[in-house]
This record gives sequence, C-alpha cells and structure tokens, in this order.
Amino acid sequence: SSVMDPEPIVRRNPPGTKAEDFYKWPAQSFDEMDTTLAVQQHIQQTIRQDFTDTETILTVPPGQDEGVWKYEQLRQFCLELNGLAIKLQTECTPLTCSQMTATEQWIFLCAAHKTPQGCPAIDYTRHTLDGAACLLNSNKYFPSRVSIKDSSVAKLGSVCRRVYRIFSHAYYHHRHIFDESENETYLCRRFTTFVIRYNLMSRDNLIVPIMDDASNTSNNNSVDQ
Amino acid sequence: YSMPGILHFIQHEWSRFEMERAQWDVEKAELQARIAFLQGERKGQENLKRDLIRRIKMLEFALKQERAKVHKLKFGTDLSVEQKHNESNDESKTNELQTTNAHMSWRHGRQLLRQYLQEVGYSETILDVRSQRVRALLGNNYDAPKPVENDNQVVNGNISDEEKQSNTDGNTESIFKDFNFLNAEDNDNEDDEDVNMQDEDVTDDGDHQRKARAKVSSLFLLLRLYEEMALAEFDFLNPTAAEPGILLSMTDDMKLDWSVDQNKLNAMKEQFRQEKRQTKKKELKRKYPLSRPEVCPYNLLNVFHSESLPFTVGGTHMGDESIENALGLGALAGLTVANEADPLSYDIAATKESYRKTWNPKYTLRSHFDGIRAIRFLPNESAVITASEDHTMKLWNLNKPLPSKKTQSLDVEPIYSFRGHSGAVLSLEVDADGSYCFSGGLDASVRVWSIPSVEIDAYDTYDPAVIQKVLVGHTDAVWSLSYSSTRQQLLSASSDCSVRLWNPTSNDPLIQTYTTEGIPTSVCFVQCDSNHAVVSHTDGKINLYDLETGQISLVLAEGDGSKYIDCSVNCVASHPTMPITMTAHDDKHIKFFDNSSGKLIHSMVAHLDSVTSLSVDPNGLYLLSGSHDCSIRLWNLDSKTCIQELTSHRKKFDESIYSVAFHPSATYIASAGADALAKIFV
Repeated sequence: SSVMDPEPIVRRNPPGTKAEDFYKWPAQSFDEMDTTLAVQQHIQQTIRQDFTDTETILTVPPGQDEGVWKYEQLRQFCLELNGLAIKLQTECTPLTCSQMTATEQWIFLCAAHKTPQGCPAIDYTRHTLDGAACLLNSNKYFPSRVSIKDSSVAKLGSVCRRVYRIFSHAYYHHRHIFDESENETYLCRRFTTFVIRYNLMSRDNLIVPIMDDASNTSNNNSVDQ
Repeated sequence: YSMPGILHFIQHEWSRFEMERAQWDVEKAELQARIAFLQGERKGQENLKRDLIRRIKMLEFALKQERAKVHKLKFGTDLSVEQKHNESNDESKTNELQTTNAHMSWRHGRQLLRQYLQEVGYSETILDVRSQRVRALLGNNYDAPKPVENDNQVVNGNISDEEKQSNTDGNTESIFKDFNFLNAEDNDNEDDEDVNMQDEDVTDDGDHQRKARAKVSSLFLLLRLYEEMALAEFDFLNPTAAEPGILLSMTDDMKLDWSVDQNKLNAMKEQFRQEKRQTKKKELKRKYPLSRPEVCPYNLLNVFHSESLPFTVGGTHMGDESIENALGLGALAGLTVANEADPLSYDIAATKESYRKTWNPKYTLRSHFDGIRAIRFLPNESAVITASEDHTMKLWNLNKPLPSKKTQSLDVEPIYSFRGHSGAVLSLEVDADGSYCFSGGLDASVRVWSIPSVEIDAYDTYDPAVIQKVLVGHTDAVWSLSYSSTRQQLLSASSDCSVRLWNPTSNDPLIQTYTTEGIPTSVCFVQCDSNHAVVSHTDGKINLYDLETGQISLVLAEGDGSKYIDCSVNCVASHPTMPITMTAHDDKHIKFFDNSSGKLIHSMVAHLDSVTSLSVDPNGLYLLSGSHDCSIRLWNLDSKTCIQELTSHRKKFDESIYSVAFHPSATYIASAGADALAKIFV
C-alpha cells in the first residue's frame, strides 16, 4: 500500500489484536531501540523468534553492560517461570509435597519470611517468585533499568539459587509437568546455561540433568532431533 | 392453610412485588429526569451570573473612563508638571522607571518570582497563607472603578473558566473574592491618582490600604529584589522604553506604546515554555490549561497593555513607598487572581481554592515483570489490582507502603499474586463490593477470582479457593470486560469477533453470545441503563446493543476501516448519570456521543498520540484519559477542558500507558504502563 513514504512501523499490540498477531511486528535491531526497556525488548524479541535457540538468546549484544544484561535475563526467567508455577499449582499441594525438596539430600527453607520457614513446595514456589519480583523491582537495589550498582549485582546470585529449586522440585517430583513445560519453553536448560556462563551459581547445585549438557557454550546443533 | 390458599397468597405477593418494582422504576426515571432538569437549571443560573458579572465590569470600566476624562479635562497641564517633577527628582525618576518597568515586568516577574520561590523552597501553601492574609486585609475595599476592558475580557474569560473548573458547586463567593482583588488593585491605582491630584483628599479607603500595605512590606522587599532580577531579563525592550520621555507619549495616547522587540519576546516565551517542560520532567507537577482557545491568544504583550494602563492614566508622581506598596500589593493580588489571565503562568489557583484539586503522585507499584495492561481499584478499600503481560495479577494495599524516609513517593509491594492465566492478562474488572474480580487474557479465558482480604500477609499459604471459575467460550484474546452490579453480570469482548454475556456465579455461566461485525476492542455497560452496552471496534465502529434482543439498537459511529490506519477506538466509557458515551481513539481524539440520539456531541484532540484508556469519576464530573504519549490528562466534563496533565510511564516499544482509573469512592487515581509500573495519585 506504499506510495511515496513507507508507513512507519508502529510496534503496538492494541486492543483487538489476535493472539497469533501479538508482537508480530518486524524485529527491531538492538541499536535502533531507544527506550529505557531496550534490553528487555531485545531479549523477548529473540525468544519469540526461536525459543529453542538458547545460544542466541543469551548472547549479549556488543557494548551492552553485562550487569544490566544479567538483570534483565533474570527478570525474563522469573516471568516465564510463572508458566511452570501455574502447572504446579494444579498438582502440587501441601498434602503431596509438604516440604520443598528435590532429591533426598536437599530440603529447602523458604527465605521470604523473617525466619526461614519450611514451607510446602507450592508455597515455596510462590513465595520465591513473589520475593524475586519484589527484590528485582525494588527501588532500593534496582532503581534503574539501564544501570545496575555492583552491590546489587551480587543479589542476582541468591535469586538464581532459590529460583532454581523450583526447577529441581518439578523435575524430581512432578516430572511430567516439568517435561511439558520444558518442551514449551526450554526454560531450564537456558537457565542452566545462563547461570554457568555468568557464574551465578556453583555447579554443585545444578542437579537437574540437562539433555544437551556440558558443551552448552558451543553450537546448538545437538538440539535437533 | 390450604394449597390453593397458599398459591393464591404467593401469587398475590408476587404481583405486589412486581407492581412495586414498576413503581420504583418509574420513580427512578422521574428522579433522573429531575436531576437532568436541575443540572440544566444550574447551568442556566451560572450563565446568568456570568453575564451579570460582565455587565458590572463593563459599567465599572465606563465609570473609570469617565473619571479619566474628567481628570484630563481638569488637569490639561498636568503632564508638564509631571515632567518637571521627573527631571528634578532623580530618585523618583528611577522609581518611576522601576515602577513602570516593574509594572510591566510585574507579570513576567511574578512568574519568575514563583519559580524562584519554588527553588528557594517556598511551597504553594506558604503563598496561599500569605495571599489569604492579604485577602483578609483588603477584604472591605469595594467602590473603586474596574480594570480596563482587556483585563475584563481576560479576567472574565478566565473567571468563567475558573468557575467551570471550580466544580459544579460554582461558588459565588469565590467570584466575588476575585472582585475584591480587582478592586484592591484598582484601589491602589485609583489611590495613586488621588495622591497625584492633590486637590482631592485621600480617601478613607486609601488610608485603610496604606495600613494594609505596611503590614505586608516584608513581601515587597522580596518582590523588589526579584523585580530587579526580573528587570535584567527585559532586554527585549528597546532602550528608549527606559527613558522618562516615553511616559509622555503613553499618557498622550492613553495606550501602551512600549516598543517591544517582538522576536526577542517570542524567544523568551519559547524559552520559558521549554524550561517549564523540562522542569515538568523533573516531576514538578504543573497545570496546562489546554484547549482553551479563549485564553491562548493572550500573549504577554496584551497582558502588558492591559495592566499598564491604569498607571499611565493615573500619573506618575507619588511617594516612593506607596508606589512600591501599590505595585507590591497589585502584584501580590495578581498572584492569586490575574494569574488566570496568563496562559503561561503556573496555575496556582489550586492554592487559593480549597476544593480545587491538583493531583500529585503518591505511590509507585513495582513488582510486575512486564507491562501492566489494566488497573482497577477495590471499591471500598485503599487497594488496587493490576493485570499484567507477565501473566499475573497482583493485589496491592495502599495503606501499607514500604517504609521510606521521603514522603513524596512511596513504593508499595503487592500482597497477593493471582496466578492462573497462561498468557498475558489483558483486562480486569472488580465487582461492586470488592469480593470478586474478573480477568480476561491472551489465552482466551475469562477467570473469576475471589479477592483475598487486604490484610493478608504477602507470604501466606496458598489458598486454591482464590481461583473461582474459568469461563470458557472465547477462542481468542479477551481484551475488555465490563461488570454490571445491577444485573450482576459480566460482558467480555474478544478478538474472536464476539461479545459474551456471563453470569459469573452460576454453574452455567454463559448467558449469551453476540457476534460482532469487525473486531471489538472495548465493551461497557451503559451505567444508567444496564439493558444496553456500547461496543467499539478496530475499524472505528461504535455500536449500542440492546442486551435483551441482542441487536444493535443504535449506531453511534460507522466504521471507517478502509480509510485510515488510526481509526481504531481503544476504549469506551459510560457516564454514570447521563446517557453519554465517551470514546478514546487512535487518532488522538476523545469523542462524546449521545446514547439516545446517537449524535456526536463533542470531539476534541486530547493527546499527542493514540488515546488508550478512559475513566469517569463516580460523580460524572471529570474524565481521566491515558495515552501512548506518556501523559494522563484530567478533563472537566462540563467545559471539556483539560485541567491537569501528568507525565507518567516510559515506553516499551511504542506503547506507554495502557490503563487509567478513578477510585469509586475515594480520591485516588491510578495509571498503569508498559514499563511494568503502576502509579497512584492523590
């Protein structure tokens, strides 16, 4: 329909947009993004293009501050973990899982309370996600989306550690839910790659086996079939 | 007791109930008609009052003209006398210079004054207190001539604006307070004339004024200081204006003949506007009187014209102190009144009328990971629910903000997260008593939730009973919900081209499905007639549906889909008491339609970008609109003018503000944006 000027691309999802058209605009290169939420926009855009391409999703754009990159990635992980939490809600009750456990060795106490509490798994999951939301959005530690204080970057590790337990509980106690969710999102393997790459957690804690393990910094050809 | 007897009794009771209900309906309709009639009457009264005020001003102006003529005739040689005085008395010369220049810079200086005061830290309340005192002191002075015509129009126009803005209670008292100021101002000038004409005795009013002036002299020192600073800014005046000779030509022509360098003046105005814009970004909230065409043409030059006239007429030789005081008082009086005349001034009318509200940001709600698509208040609590693209909704208690040292903007953390949607949550409604909320999502589901108490602990045990129901039926994103408390029913609009009516509490909730032509974007029950609902579409169509028949009873707007890319209507809102529908358009307009006739009542350019959301206050007096231009605007529904603009929210891609809301019973307004934040203003 263009005659002289091409119509400027307006990247909006206005009321009336069909689900299949949601976010279906031409991709915008990271350098062209001029909003304060550029990093989030870029990460989400890359995931939408191919959620299985862990490598591309985790590749930091040249010149981008790494602290902000890690922060925004973690926000996106917490956002997507909601999907797993919803599925768990249906099945994981205080009766089935009265504590937050993974393998027999580990019992996790919920840090969202004044003194750590042995919450049932579903409560642990919700409290951890809610607590992560509060911390990552806290004006005290993360007042800006474009620059992160070094002291705040240190907080990201503890968030990762707690949030990972949701994966491990789901894997060991609700395996079908874990598999279903993982196939839809590739979230756990992406998270594992992420924490290893940026040294946010010690490898000892990564108890969920990942299919394309170990050499995950290299190509993702192994993902096929 | 026999069976037939019982049946008969029941039937009898039922028919009685039906009759009563019919009676109530009739009464309700009557009362509504009466309300409309009274409102119309009140408008008529206000118009009448305004006209009378204008007449009074015109008469007073005429009187003043007459007096001026008399003065001129009496003292034909007065001018040369003044000149001698000027040349002989250096000090008075400089004073005149200062005063005349200062009088002209008075307006500009006052603006600067306010700016400096704010920098210094004088809050508006201090100004208010001071002006209250001045008002009290000057309260009795009444019989002076009125200001000149220009001033009339200017002040008039703005008084009537002010009237409208000052809410429907149209306080006559405030109008006459304004008169007091005008009178006081002219009393000063008139008094100066008197002093000059040494034949006449200084009136008692003058004495009274002098005493009043003496009492507020500390302010004048401050004013003088700022005057001098302000004078330095007046390089747009050509140098000749500073000479005393100009006074002659002024008094000759009875007309202000400042040779003003228009270009510089405009440049300064531009600079001033830009400064204002910048300071706005630093979160100083100021009012922009938008879409008030009667005010905008009054540039600074006109204002200077009108206000310098009394001086030229009155002559120039007067005591040092009294000039300052006159000026000071005039300026001070002007702080509260003539302010309205200047569209560039900060609107501190709020400080002088206690019922006039300026909204300020109070709470920031941080916790969502992605844009917040909808925000609603709970009807009986200081609490809100937000619905976000991060698939969750959250409940927030505003009475429990995070502890903070600064009281200006408090952060709030949520006390509950509603998890259940497997995609972005796009729409939200709360029922009339705040026990249930309804959400519509990208996953095509409509969900009914039971709202937990606002007193719960944020990290409580999970209660699956919060999830009440999932209303299945739509096959695509549910973009809009509307709840009717009279019918206890819910309407949902989805991009599957249907609008559905539900009874959320029933076991078989779907009551009816209405297929729409075109994709609906927003649906709203007509508040004063819940048998009807308005639906807007992406192609600009706006239809009024009769819910009983399921048919379109009236087309408010035809679809223009083929013509424009920005024809979509994003939101419809229903007026609480009048049969009016308000619509928010992609083409930056807000339009008003009459539900009975289907006619377009009013259309206005409301924002710099697509208007995304509307909310009407529960009394039907104000309208709140949000837009992707990052601003929310508050409109007076009587005058259809913008009384406040607030900048809020940053952009994600090309979107910024998704939703705005009024609290149904308390003085809160909320905005929700693509930056994952929600803001509450008080």
